[in-house]
Amino acid sequence: MTTGRWERAAGRVVLLVLVFVTLVPFADLFVTALHPPGTYPPGLTWPRDPHWSNFATAFRSAEVAEVLASSGLIALGVVPLTLALAAPAGYALGHLRFTGHRAVFGLFAVGLVLPLEAVVTPLYHQMRDLGLLDTRSGLVVALVAVHLPFAVFWLRAHFAGVPPELTDSARLDGAGPWQVFRLVHLPLARPATSSLAVLLLVWTWNHFLLAIVLVDDPVRRTAAGALGAFQGRWGTDVPLLCAGALSLITPLLAVLALLYRRHR
Amino acid sequence: MSGPRRCGAVVGTALAAALLVGCAAPGGDRASGAGTSAAVTSEPDCGSGPVVLRARFETGFPLAKALTDEFTRQHPDVTWEVREEQYAVLTQNAPRLLADDPPDLVRLPQVSDLAADGLLRDLDGYAAWFGWDDWPAAHLRQLRVGPGGRPRGTGPLYAMGFSTSVTGVFYNKDLAARIGFREPSTLAEWDDALARAKGAGITPLAGFNSGAAAGLAFPLQSLMAAHGSPSAIDAWTFQQPGARIDTPANTEAVRHLRRWLDAGYFDADLNATDYARMLDRFTSGRALFMVDGDWESATLDRLMPGRVGFFLVPPVRAGEPRAAMTGPPTFGIPAGAAHPDCAAYFLNWAVTDRAARELTVRVGGALPLGPPDAHVPPVEPGSVTATTLTAAALVAANGTGMDFMANATRAILSESWTPRLQELAAGEGEPDDLLRKVQADYADQVDR
Amino acid sequence: MRWRRVGWLFVLPALAVYAVFVLRPLALTAQYSLYRWDGVGPSTWVGLANYREVLTDPDLYGAIGHALVLVVFFTGLPVPLGLLAAAVIRRTATRPVRAVLLLPQAVPLVAAGIAWSLLLSSTGAVNRLLDVVGLGGAARAWFGDSSTALAAVGVVGAWVLLGLCTTLLLVGAERIDPALYEAARLDGAGPWAEFRAVTLPGVRRELWVCVAVTAIAALASFDIVYVTTRGGPGDATSVPGFEVFSLAFAQREVGLASALAVVLVVPALAAVAPALRWSR
Repeated sequence: MTTGRWERAAGRVVLLVLVFVTLVPFADLFVTALHPPGTYPPGLTWPRDPHWSNFATAFRSAEVAEVLASSGLIALGVVPLTLALAAPAGYALGHLRFTGHRAVFGLFAVGLVLPLEAVVTPLYHQMRDLGLLDTRSGLVVALVAVHLPFAVFWLRAHFAGVPPELTDSARLDGAGPWQVFRLVHLPLARPATSSLAVLLLVWTWNHFLLAIVLVDDPVRRTAAGALGAFQGRWGTDVPLLCAGALSLITPLLAVLALLYRRHR
Repeated sequence: MSGPRRCGAVVGTALAAALLVGCAAPGGDRASGAGTSAAVTSEPDCGSGPVVLRARFETGFPLAKALTDEFTRQHPDVTWEVREEQYAVLTQNAPRLLADDPPDLVRLPQVSDLAADGLLRDLDGYAAWFGWDDWPAAHLRQLRVGPGGRPRGTGPLYAMGFSTSVTGVFYNKDLAARIGFREPSTLAEWDDALARAKGAGITPLAGFNSGAAAGLAFPLQSLMAAHGSPSAIDAWTFQQPGARIDTPANTEAVRHLRRWLDAGYFDADLNATDYARMLDRFTSGRALFMVDGDWESATLDRLMPGRVGFFLVPPVRAGEPRAAMTGPPTFGIPAGAAHPDCAAYFLNWAVTDRAARELTVRVGGALPLGPPDAHVPPVEPGSVTATTLTAAALVAANGTGMDFMANATRAILSESWTPRLQELAAGEGEPDDLLRKVQADYADQVDR
Repeated sequence: MRWRRVGWLFVLPALAVYAVFVLRPLALTAQYSLYRWDGVGPSTWVGLANYREVLTDPDLYGAIGHALVLVVFFTGLPVPLGLLAAAVIRRTATRPVRAVLLLPQAVPLVAAGIAWSLLLSSTGAVNRLLDVVGLGGAARAWFGDSSTALAAVGVVGAWVLLGLCTTLLLVGAERIDPALYEAARLDGAGPWAEFRAVTLPGVRRELWVCVAVTAIAALASFDIVYVTTRGGPGDATSVPGFEVFSLAFAQREVGLASALAVVLVVPALAAVAPALRWSR
């Protein structure tokens, strides 16, 4: 390689700055969480007497265990459902190219750029009329619907890249469209679907607007929605708020770290 | 080649069907006010079986929760599912909470729109049964709402409280001694003390103005009442016809507050300071004065025993009666509550039961509501609680209490007072425009 | 032509869910925007009055202006910085470093807002740092100062999205055939010429995806404002997302909220749709 020496040095500096800027907010959350509850500690100072008990207190008052279970349940609904709906749709749009596929894709593209605020009010009333307000299933359905455009877009791009010969040979063997999809294309789409699944997991876990609008009870919300409620209640106690925020975000980070390691 | 076209037609029809929103206008008929004015003919109580009451209270005010705990101790069949939220969150959520998921008891902001929309239970039946009507009328005046939501101050009772409250100025006695401060008899004397504190390197005033809480409304309204009259402010707050907020006296108060801000009497991060942080600054001795209410008296007695004084905001001319924001923190029973009788029974218990009244004084630091002859729990002499109880009684006797002007309409706090007062604190805009803008928003909201 | 028709059966379930829970509400928003309605009682037809109010009330059109300013922060900072980072660290970044850079996008915006409101508070780390380097005079409560609050919101968004852009662009940069770089170097290209001739064209697709994603995030921003400023001080950080939420659910002006939402869709479609097209 002919990479210059100074270039490598510059790379190191940029990297260092990026890592520093990325980590400082987490570090500040962490050290602030260790100060005595009810105080207003100056930024990034290690407390004289670390209050590890703040985490226990926050764990209890933010009902972290219940919220994590709730986020897990919601993700268990959203991720498979979205995949199950988006995979055949992406296949049809990217590979089968049936008559009218452009119009359908155009409809999904609208959802891709749509600010959620444009649907949230009627969605609230619709859920109320369906009796799904304040339920996890209502939130799951709404999240599936709003994530569908991206999921379809993503998988369509994958299926569009699959050579048509694959289908043709399977058809010669007498397989119908469904078998071809199930037995030939779906297994090949594993990398695309699994990375999509991770994205959907993260987005569901961290989803805020619909969680606070459609579900009033924080214990039935996503982690981000519950954190909003926790701030609404404990926002005045800074160390406790930080401890609560960390308890609600680290589990997902841990899961992602595991996935990242397994992925290598 | 008819394929594509036919398919296009199919997509079109299918989507049109799915999207068919009907040409009917949204919404249904107005709920008929829940029609709950009916007389109560038998003792409202909690029944005999186990009952779970759902309640929504305000964070940082432990009295309500303490009362529910004591109630359960005395009535083991009744348990509570209490959720606490900050005031701004409660304010924001109240309408849809009451409409779509009504609990049994809610700490509420302003009740007029909620009452007009039929979301709150009319408590007149309970008031008659329990005898709340026999209390001094001024206590519950703010909780009465006229037909259609205005004016407030007359009409059926739509909410209740546990205690009256009174606002004024708390001061740190240690810091006060350093500048030789004596309680002022006129506004000018107080101004002088503020200037001397500033000169001595002490932050004169602890304040808050962040979020959607319009913290500067406390000092502003106090100044308005001193420069003008509390009843004129109440006329506006209660939406009486023709009432205006942009009067010369009130504008003078805005200029007064602006002078305080310009002189640096508040900390520079006022717009980023929330209520809890203001309290922390005062209790940790970093500010001399704090304009606040007696709901903090018990806390101050606990955190700074014997070191806090209190006075009502002084008048412009010595000897004139002093005004204060008063009024019970508001608790309502939603029209759709599952156990309204039990909630009403609790409200009555909270102001009549001996143990409950003692809690109100000990935990809330405030004067319990209730019949004039009710037991008044003793307080530690020399405590700030004792001082504020006396002040509350004085304001009641003088009739110079007023409601919080942030309660004028549903949106006035978040849409008008909050942004305008934050602009004032930032040194933006002209003081004279502030009230004109608030008045314009108010007129717009009252028109609707 | 069974295979051509059968495609419909494959899309229909997804299309149905999407139509009922996204397209139908979208159409309803358009309908609500023509009424005055409190969300509970009866409604009154007001024609375009709500739109008139959105376009004349400084609080409301100001919010749209703020959203456009946020695009500068959410897109204008992370995309070029991410590009720079991806170009420079293409060869140097190790796996743990990449994992660290991924972190911010796995954090809810609410948490990012909480963390940054600490950092940017009057006694926060940023002001202490300024003090140390002798710029203590510039210290302030960044979220509480109307001249800096919107920028502070923008910085939080930029922080969250920088990681996303860096990661995406890095993936793109790594797909570039190393032979292209070798060739550029043999032609005597410096780092800048190499970047322009090889890296930039190579990540074009990812670049436009970044632009689209960040611009939508800016136009639809809600979470950060909700936890940090609630639109203040004054109206300095009011954004359409927060205004729609508070109009629809707190002030119960459903018609006005809907009109604002519809108006918001216009810049979203105008700005983002082309970016998505170019990403193909």
